[in-house]
Amino acid sequence: MTAGSMTQKNSKDNLDRQIDENLRRVYSDAAGDPIPDRFAKLLAQLRESDEQNASKAEKGKS
Amino acid sequence: MTVEKDAHPDPRDELVSHLPAMRAFAMSLTRNAAAADDLVQDAVVKAWGNFDKFQAGTNLRAWLFTILRNTYYSLYRKRRREVEDPDGKMAGKMSEKPAHDGHLAMSDFRTAFAKLTDEQREVLILIGAEGFSYEEAAVTCGCAVGTVKSRTNRARKRLAELMQLDDGDQLELTDSATMAVVTATSSG
Repeated sequence: MTAGSMTQKNSKDNLDRQIDENLRRVYSDAAGDPIPDRFAKLLAQLRESDEQNASKAEKGKS
Repeated sequence: MTVEKDAHPDPRDELVSHLPAMRAFAMSLTRNAAAADDLVQDAVVKAWGNFDKFQAGTNLRAWLFTILRNTYYSLYRKRRREVEDPDGKMAGKMSEKPAHDGHLAMSDFRTAFAKLTDEQREVLILIGAEGFSYEEAAVTCGCAVGTVKSRTNRARKRLAELMQLDDGDQLELTDSATMAVVTATSSG
C-alpha cells in the first residue's frame, strides 16, 4: 500500500465486485424458480400448430 | 420434420432451456412476477414465429433476450399511456420481493436496483449477472458498444450511491454479507 489512489482503485473494484455478486444473486433467485406449467402448455400448442400447418401444406401439394 | 442440414440443434428444442433466464430477465425489467410471465409468453410466441430468421450457431439466448426486451419496451410504453403513470410511481410500488432468510443486504440491494432506470437495470443484468460481453449486450439492446459501457458504469455508480444513501448500519450489513461471498470466490 503506497498511495491513496491504490486504495481507492481497490475499493472501486471491490464495490463493483459486490454489485456483481448481488446482481447474480438476485438473478439466480429469479432463474431458480420452477417454470410454471403454462409454458409447457404453450410450447406444446406451438408445436401442434406447426405440425398442423405442415400437414396442411403437404395436402396442398398433392 | 425435416433433417437439419448442419449439426446445429433446432432452436425450438433449445428454447425450453432458456426459459429460466428469460423469466429472470423479464423479472428484472418488470419487477412483477405476473407481468414477467406474460412478457415471457409474448416473447416466446414472437420468437417461435421468427425462428426462420434465427441464424443457426449464433447466440440463441441473446437473440431471445432481444425479442423479450423489444416486447417489453413496446408494451411498457403502451401501458404507461393507458394507466397515465408518467413518473413511474406505480412501477416503483410493484417492485418489492420479500428478502430471503436474513438477507437484509439483499433487500437493500433490491430496493436500490428497483430505483434504476429500465436501461440501467437491463445492462447490469446482461453484463453483471448474465455475463454477456459488451458486444453481445449492445446487439441485444440495439445500441452502440460505447453506450453499453457508459450506461453500465453510470448504473454501477448510481447503485453504489443509492446504497450509501441508506443509513450506515445497513451499509455495513451489506458489506459483511457480501464479503463472505467475495472471499469465498477469491480463495477458490
